Parts: sequence; structure tokens; C-alpha cells
Amino acid sequence: MLKKLLILGAVSGVLAGIAGLIYQKVYASSLGDGFTNVAKPVNIMISCILGCLIAAVGYFLLSKVLKDKTEAVFNLLFSILTFATILGPIAAKLPLETEMPELFPGLAIPMHFFPALAWFTLKPLFAKSV
Amino acid sequence: MKKLAIFSVTLLLMAAVFAFTVVAPTWKITDKYNISFASNEVGGIFKTFKGSITFDEANPATSGFDVTIDVASINTGNGLQNKHAKSDEWFDATKYPVIHYVSKKIVKAGNAYQVTGDLEIHGVKKEFTIPFTFQRKGNAATFNGTFNVNRNDFHIGKPGGDVSDNIKVTVAVPVTK
Repeated sequence: MLKKLLILGAVSGVLAGIAGLIYQKVYASSLGDGFTNVAKPVNIMISCILGCLIAAVGYFLLSKVLKDKTEAVFNLLFSILTFATILGPIAAKLPLETEMPELFPGLAIPMHFFPALAWFTLKPLFAKSV
Repeated sequence: MKKLAIFSVTLLLMAAVFAFTVVAPTWKITDKYNISFASNEVGGIFKTFKGSITFDEANPATSGFDVTIDVASINTGNGLQNKHAKSDEWFDATKYPVIHYVSKKIVKAGNAYQVTGDLEIHGVKKEFTIPFTFQRKGNAATFNGTFNVNRNDFHIGKPGGDVSDNIKVTVAVPVTK
């Protein structure tokens, strides 16, 4: 089960990372700055994959304790934690040479939802085996 | 004849006065300046600084500064903090768009200098002395100064609170002739 969950986590992470990079490109082309000096593409990818892998391990540990209620509790926790992480970009202090830091949350906050979205999207595909 | 003599002498005296009037050289501010501030909680820079500088290190009394900082160019690195700093609770950038400093007297103080002038922030004008150094390399030079501004003197923000009353300001202004 853990192996399947880790695969789900890795695939979700890659999907979220790709979505993040596309969003960054779109954001940069429409607003002129993708904040690539702060949100480096490689870091976006690594963060998404790492986030989803941690979610996979969390799901596995929860399933050992909660059995049938795992899905509901996990989804709730994942959503709450995702919302909590948006405080990061809001409070982030960017390098002073960065132009218009007020546009940074608009880039980073949606990205914080991509791992959870990717997980929730792909989870049904793994439903039988997980 | 007498009138002509008086006129000639007056003309001669005026010429002598103008001949010995020392005019300090004018310096042009380059784009690489740094106007930064720091306190316990916040720090940042002002990105727009302009003005006129005339300065002669050998004769500082003939020198003068008239510089402005665009308040809206404040950057703390955080969008929310920038908005907060520009709001009427702090700098009120809409009502008081610039910080203005005009020198009245510049004197040598040891290896450095001291400029005394009127500093206007947030609509409050106060006499303010700034110590600074001047390092010259040919036709280029840099003015450096570090000093503290008590924000309560200029009614910026509420006294006390998270942001300390004394804000450390660091100024580095490279100039060219």
C-alpha cells in the first residue's frame, strides 16, 4: 500500500509541479514578472513532489490508525494544511531589488493549492489499490 | 570725471568680489544609490532619490544639498508592508509624496562632515543634522552617511508598538562630475 501511495504522491507532485511551472509562465507573460529569482522553477518542482510524497506518508500513517475514516480525515487535513501554507507567501519578505513584491502572493498562493488538487484528481485512479 | 571714477571703482570692486566667489562643483547623482532603513521589525529601501548636490570638500561652507525621496518608492520586500507603510497610518504617501531635505550649513567634523538642514517628512519640517563622509576618486565620489531618525518627531505611525521609535537610516550616494 505504501508503495502505491508513494507512486500516487510522486505522480501528483510532478503534475502539480508542471501546473505550477505553466502557471508561472502565464503569470509572467501577463504581468511581466514571474519572480523566477524567488520561485525558481526547480524549487517549484521539488516542493510539489516533496509535498505530495509527505502527503502519501501521512495518508499511510493515518490509515494505520483510522482505517475506514482515513479518506475523509486525510482530505480534511490536507485541505486545512494547504490553506495554512498560504500564510507563507503573504508574509514572505522578498529581496529588496525585487520589483512589485505585492504581486508575489498572486503567483505563489494558487501554486500552494496545486499539490492538493493533483492528489484529489489522481486519487480515484488509485482508489482500488490504495 | 568724478562720477566716472566712482563708477570705475565700483565696477572694479564688483569684479573682484565675483572673481573671488567660490562656487562648489555640482555633482550628478548616479543610479547606484542606496537609501535604506532598518529597525527591529522592518527594513527596506527607497528606490527613488533625486536632487541637486553641490559640494567642495575643501570648502564645505559653499556646498549645498537639496534632495528628495519619493515616498511611494518604498520597498520593504513585502507587498502588504509596502501598502501599510504608504497608508495614512504611516507615511501617508498620497498626502505627503516626498521626503525633502535642504541643507543650510555644511561643516567639516574630523575626517567627515556634518550637514545641518531642514528635513521634511510627513508634512513635519525639522532641523536635522546628518554626519557623512565623502570619498572621492577622480571625477567620481561617494557620499556615505548613517544616522537615526525618531519617527515620532515626524508623527509617523503611533509611538511604541512593534516598530521601534528610532529608525536607522543608511545613505550611500555615488556621484559623478
